Amino acid sequence: MAIASSTTGANVTVRGRYGDPSPWWHVDITMAAATIAIAIIGIAMVFSATKGNGAVADTSYLKRLLLFMGLGVVAMIVTSMVDYQRFLAWSWGFYGLLLFLLVAVLFFGVNEKEKGAKAWFGFGAFQMQPAEFGKLAVILVLANLLGQWRTDIDLRRLGLLLAVPGGAMVLIMKQPDLGMVLIYLFIVMGMLLVGGVKARHLVAIMAVGVIGVFGVLNSSVLKQYQKDRLTSFADSNNSLKTSYQVQQSEATIGSGGITGQGYGRGSQTQLKFVPEQETDFIFTVVGEELGFVGGATLLLLYGVLSWRIWRVAQLARDRSGQLICVGVMCFIVFQVFENVGMAMRIMPVTGIPLPLVSYGGSSILTTFVALGLVQNIHMRRFR
Amino acid sequence: MDTDSPQLRLGILAITALSLFGALFARLWYLQVMAAPTFQDVATQNRERLIYEEPRRGRILDREGRVLVDNRTSLVLAVNVNDPALAKTDQKTALLRSVAQELTRIGKPTKVAGLERRLNDTQYNPLTPIPLAIDIPEELQIHVAEHPEAFPGVEIRRESVRAYPNGGIAAQVLGYVGRIGGSELQARKGTDTEPLDDPKRYQPDSPYGKAGVELVYENDLRGTPGVRRVEVDVKGRVVRTVEYVAPTAGNDVQLTIDTELQKLAEDTLSRQLDTVRGVLTTSGVRRAPAGSVVLTDPRNGGVIAMASYPTYHPEEFVNGISSERYAAITGGKDTENPFINRAIAGQYAPASTFKLVSAYAALQSGMITAATSYGDPGFYDLRNCTTGAKGCQKTNAEEKANGTISLPTALTVSSDVFFYNVGDTFYWEASKYGDGLQSAARSFGFGTETGIDLPGETDGVVPDPAYRQRLYDRMSPEEQKNGSPVWVPGNTVDIAVGQGFTLATPLQIANAYATFANGGNLHQPRVAARVLKPAGDPSDPNAVVRSLDPRVTFTLPLPASTADPIREGLRNVPEWRFQGTAGSAFKGFDSSAYPLIGKTGTAEVPPKADFALFAGCGPDPRAELCIAIVMEEAGFGGEVAAPVARRIFDHASGQDELPGYEPWNAGIAVAATGTN
Repeated sequence: MAIASSTTGANVTVRGRYGDPSPWWHVDITMAAATIAIAIIGIAMVFSATKGNGAVADTSYLKRLLLFMGLGVVAMIVTSMVDYQRFLAWSWGFYGLLLFLLVAVLFFGVNEKEKGAKAWFGFGAFQMQPAEFGKLAVILVLANLLGQWRTDIDLRRLGLLLAVPGGAMVLIMKQPDLGMVLIYLFIVMGMLLVGGVKARHLVAIMAVGVIGVFGVLNSSVLKQYQKDRLTSFADSNNSLKTSYQVQQSEATIGSGGITGQGYGRGSQTQLKFVPEQETDFIFTVVGEELGFVGGATLLLLYGVLSWRIWRVAQLARDRSGQLICVGVMCFIVFQVFENVGMAMRIMPVTGIPLPLVSYGGSSILTTFVALGLVQNIHMRRFR
Repeated sequence: MDTDSPQLRLGILAITALSLFGALFARLWYLQVMAAPTFQDVATQNRERLIYEEPRRGRILDREGRVLVDNRTSLVLAVNVNDPALAKTDQKTALLRSVAQELTRIGKPTKVAGLERRLNDTQYNPLTPIPLAIDIPEELQIHVAEHPEAFPGVEIRRESVRAYPNGGIAAQVLGYVGRIGGSELQARKGTDTEPLDDPKRYQPDSPYGKAGVELVYENDLRGTPGVRRVEVDVKGRVVRTVEYVAPTAGNDVQLTIDTELQKLAEDTLSRQLDTVRGVLTTSGVRRAPAGSVVLTDPRNGGVIAMASYPTYHPEEFVNGISSERYAAITGGKDTENPFINRAIAGQYAPASTFKLVSAYAALQSGMITAATSYGDPGFYDLRNCTTGAKGCQKTNAEEKANGTISLPTALTVSSDVFFYNVGDTFYWEASKYGDGLQSAARSFGFGTETGIDLPGETDGVVPDPAYRQRLYDRMSPEEQKNGSPVWVPGNTVDIAVGQGFTLATPLQIANAYATFANGGNLHQPRVAARVLKPAGDPSDPNAVVRSLDPRVTFTLPLPASTADPIREGLRNVPEWRFQGTAGSAFKGFDSSAYPLIGKTGTAEVPPKADFALFAGCGPDPRAELCIAIVMEEAGFGGEVAAPVARRIFDHASGQDELPGYEPWNAGIAVAATGTN
């Protein structure tokens, strides 16, 4: 297929034959296919986790999820239509809006499920999490700055590069949403790495980071339940509720075996032994009902998606485009790693959704928009 | 190398991403491929619960198939704590308040706190509704059914509990059923680390035999519980039943007990004790607090009746007995405990009933013959005695002189002097007769447990020098100052008249007489005859699961030269014309139609009043019934115990069915002993 082959990079002939075609000729079909495949798995898994045991399946979650997914696809297409240079130009505006919303949510936000974190705005039946969309604003601002400065980054500039996301992270910490802060951290580090920050500065930042993590864990900044959540994955005898959740989660995935218990037939899932299985612990449903085959396939699809984003980063027309891709890739890779790792008990428990699979409107929309941005860069790589 | 090259840095990013995915794959492989079986077990344990359904307990029947212990249905009010309408604490409290109100209204005063304690009791399985009240009236069942909104989670179910159609008879034999205790459960199920195979699937609230036949035949009476394997969700709500196996009922146990004779024995015993109670005698006031009657079949060792006074009603245990009530029944230090089965656990001096053994030992050892005569002046001077006149002389009861007598008469009139001489001879001529007295006692079954299929039996004492030494060794140093380990002539002399250190249970006495009556076969007594299929017809041989056949544990040599003089002496005991000690009690008894052998006994237990005893069998020589009676602090055996035996033999011989029969009324003021 001509379009597919055009994505591989050897594309001079395509250009010669068609002149300067519409950007739509340069959509990365592989990435789009992986995106849709992951979303379909997500729809199937959330339905299995929420249909209930009644004679008539509960479709209320499914309907809302389909709505989010539909909106997400539309948002992805719309995002890919507008040249990403415009988004870069608006990036400070997005960032300002983000700070405003993060402050506002501390005052007017609602607590989801009485868990304590004030991270959501409530709009009737729907909720909106500004920190999710905020990842895009931070990616755009950093890509903008790093694109302008190339590799010429002195300590003053580095300070600004850390202060910009840092402001948002401090506000998110206030909610408090520790997992989200970790995602931001990983995005920032990835972008600084590829953005040309000097190696010794990177090492210094990481050292400060490691010391900071230990300092925070041993101080009173975090509440006890947050510390428990962070450390329970390493302590098999922890009797706390968090420990129950990860033990159940681990057992649920393990009981899936190689081929799984069958779609809709996982006892742990259907009898609701894992709390939050339709959101943060959705991977347990995949693991139990589809087994190693299903879990590995899903991870492979994320791998394909990440590889395509990385490839687009290589092919990008300019530094800013490349760094947007790096930011999105870090966002997806780390969120998958943290979420799946948490479910398999090799990472601390944090409330981070699995991109495109977990039930949750803000996360789904943000991920689709982020992938729309990457497509945008791929489509306009020759201009 | 240019560390600022974007390509290099993209490469670092790619490697980081790859290693993160690699870690996830490795973990996924471990969990789902290598460790899957372990986690599948966890998932199974999570979702599967077993609910046990208690089986119907087997009945207990008498020898004729009459039902002694049955089951009845009781309406039980139970609460399902998993009901969503009881999710909040105040909802639960409100329900308990209205339940307590209703229970109090129907006459079962109940407090909310008590109900709360029950709901939180860990011995109940939270998957099954927890019982709050038993035996509730149908009216309350209807009231609850009509107002479901006022009683969320409440269900009224039918439950099988023990019933006693013949009232509280044979309570100590039958025993009672209670909830299984922690140590009993552990004995059945083992510990978590070392579980035992438990085919009866006991649960922490399973019924369990606590005493008597209910305890000994627990394995037969308990059926096999049904099992419902259910799937539950994370909140413990049952989602569906995976498998159901119905319970199988327990087997019936048929006893050798005869309901009619059991009732008669209990009635006669308690009436006689009531009658003599409070009378002042030379040996003190007759408190008559306790007693026991045992009837056995000498042909096979089956126990026909076993009465123990005071008694209790096992019905009290049906709903679970409160500790206050239990304490009230057991009584304080001065009250006799009705839970003790005195027929097997009471240890008494057998007194003159033991002369059967002494006579046997004297004849069998060749010390005397039937014709050997001896002068009985009413007192006996111990041989070679140096402790002074008083300590050296023993007397008959009331120092009655019997003149020159031989063994049969010595038994009939119960000459102590005659047997003092026998005992003294055994002491001084041990080189000739060895321990003939003690070994005869052991041959008749004294000194060891009879092995009856009832719990709590004691072994009694056949004293010998080693026993006295053991007693002394067990004393505290202060007690030892006043005691002595030395076996003296008086000790052997005391054995000969069933006094001193000699102790026996009523069952041992009855069994000894049965052994003599049946020609020398010492049986292992038993109360159970057969195990029958659930609700089986006792007359149908196919209904028998297993028979508990008679067992002879020892065969006593009983040549005519030994048996005949003893038989002659015992036959005349109930005869007025031979001045038998039970002659007055058996006046008018037709012994030609139903010949009896018997022996009275009066145990001296100072400072208490005398214990009255009687032992005997009939119809001799092919006896079908042997009896032993012990009545504590009640008076002379011939005067108090023999009338009880008379009443029972009246019935056994059919003489109480003759026209014009008046329940026997003679000797001391004995109350009417009629049972109709």
